[in-house]
Amino acid sequence: MTKAELGRIAGGAPRAVENALAELAAAYEGTGLRLQRSGEEWQIVTAPQHAPQVAAYLGADRLRLSAASLETLSVVAYRQPVTRAEVEAIRGVNCDQTIYTLASRRLIEERGRKESPGRPILYGTTWEFLECFGLQSLDDLPRALSPEGALVLEGAESTPSKLG
Amino acid sequence: MESQAPRVSVEGFDGPLDLLLELVEEKKLDIITVRLGDLADAYLVRVRAMPQLPADEVSAFLALASRLVLLKARSLLPSLEPLPEEQGESEEELRARLLEYAIVRERAGQLGARLRAGERAFHREGGTVDLPPRGGEVDALASAWSRVLALATRERDEDIVAPGERYSVEQRTLEIEALVAAQERVSFATLLGDAPTVGFAVVTFIALLDLYRRGVIDLAQDELFADIVITRRDARSAQT
Repeated sequence: MTKAELGRIAGGAPRAVENALAELAAAYEGTGLRLQRSGEEWQIVTAPQHAPQVAAYLGADRLRLSAASLETLSVVAYRQPVTRAEVEAIRGVNCDQTIYTLASRRLIEERGRKESPGRPILYGTTWEFLECFGLQSLDDLPRALSPEGALVLEGAESTPSKLG
Repeated sequence: MESQAPRVSVEGFDGPLDLLLELVEEKKLDIITVRLGDLADAYLVRVRAMPQLPADEVSAFLALASRLVLLKARSLLPSLEPLPEEQGESEEELRARLLEYAIVRERAGQLGARLRAGERAFHREGGTVDLPPRGGEVDALASAWSRVLALATRERDEDIVAPGERYSVEQRTLEIEALVAAQERVSFATLLGDAPTVGFAVVTFIALLDLYRRGVIDLAQDELFADIVITRRDARSAQT
């Protein structure tokens, strides 16, 4: 549900809705539920620490991804919106198959087209992605651990534009 | 677990950058300072050891191989002038790509660890709540219930006072038929009378269904739980 919808139904200003959402998130702290945000969409989901029990109840299979799929997914997650060519430039291999796999599993989705020659499709992660990885929002994505990783990041950030 | 994605990889390497990064790590070298040309030989050994590959896969590995060999040549002969047709990335550009790829791989590893930890969220499946069909009213339900209660009470009273009356559907059918023949129109409530027993009501109802089946009468009900109006079907009743 989007913030705008919530505002319309509850009859509150965006600011009020935001406060209410923050209150709700705080109220869920330590319970079996929590709020998850994907862009403008808000959703109530079960808390990750209870995943084993909920999965057992739902009979849900654990998601498994190959190393190649995980790499592609991490590029899309950290760089979104991103085109297939940009992902391929970073990984150095063809990513057709992995992008298809990730999209069919609803972990990534199309986000319109890039205004560049050929108008390539842009990809971004879905709220299913957040769910599968137990993230409350994209701000929750794990950061690179190594200190030089952080240092490198600034230099590396500009490469895709050169390559793409 | 059966539905694992088909993995496009070569000897466990997801592409040339993966192989190159693997070599750097194997030799415990620093990505920032390593001379990438020094890795050319080790890289070529690995590529040669690879089994038959699809052409587009091989080309990606070979493109990097040629780049590494060129870097190596340049480091051996620093005076070597760039060839006029020589384009593509410099060592620093390749290093930047490798570094970036290293970050991607690290992040992929972190995401993979999250997956393996299985600490995921679940949303509620299904969309909207199914609402009961419209038209039913709480009052109608309540009055229907009170009628049932009234019937049940009467039944019990009669059970105590006297053995239940016995009605035959045939008998009741004849009675209703006669009544309809005389008045043309009668309501179900009238047929039931003031204090029907359950048995009487059931027999009357079955008799009506039978008459309807035979085409003697028409049945009409204006709305849910309203009284049923029984009318004679003229043409047929004349025949019967």
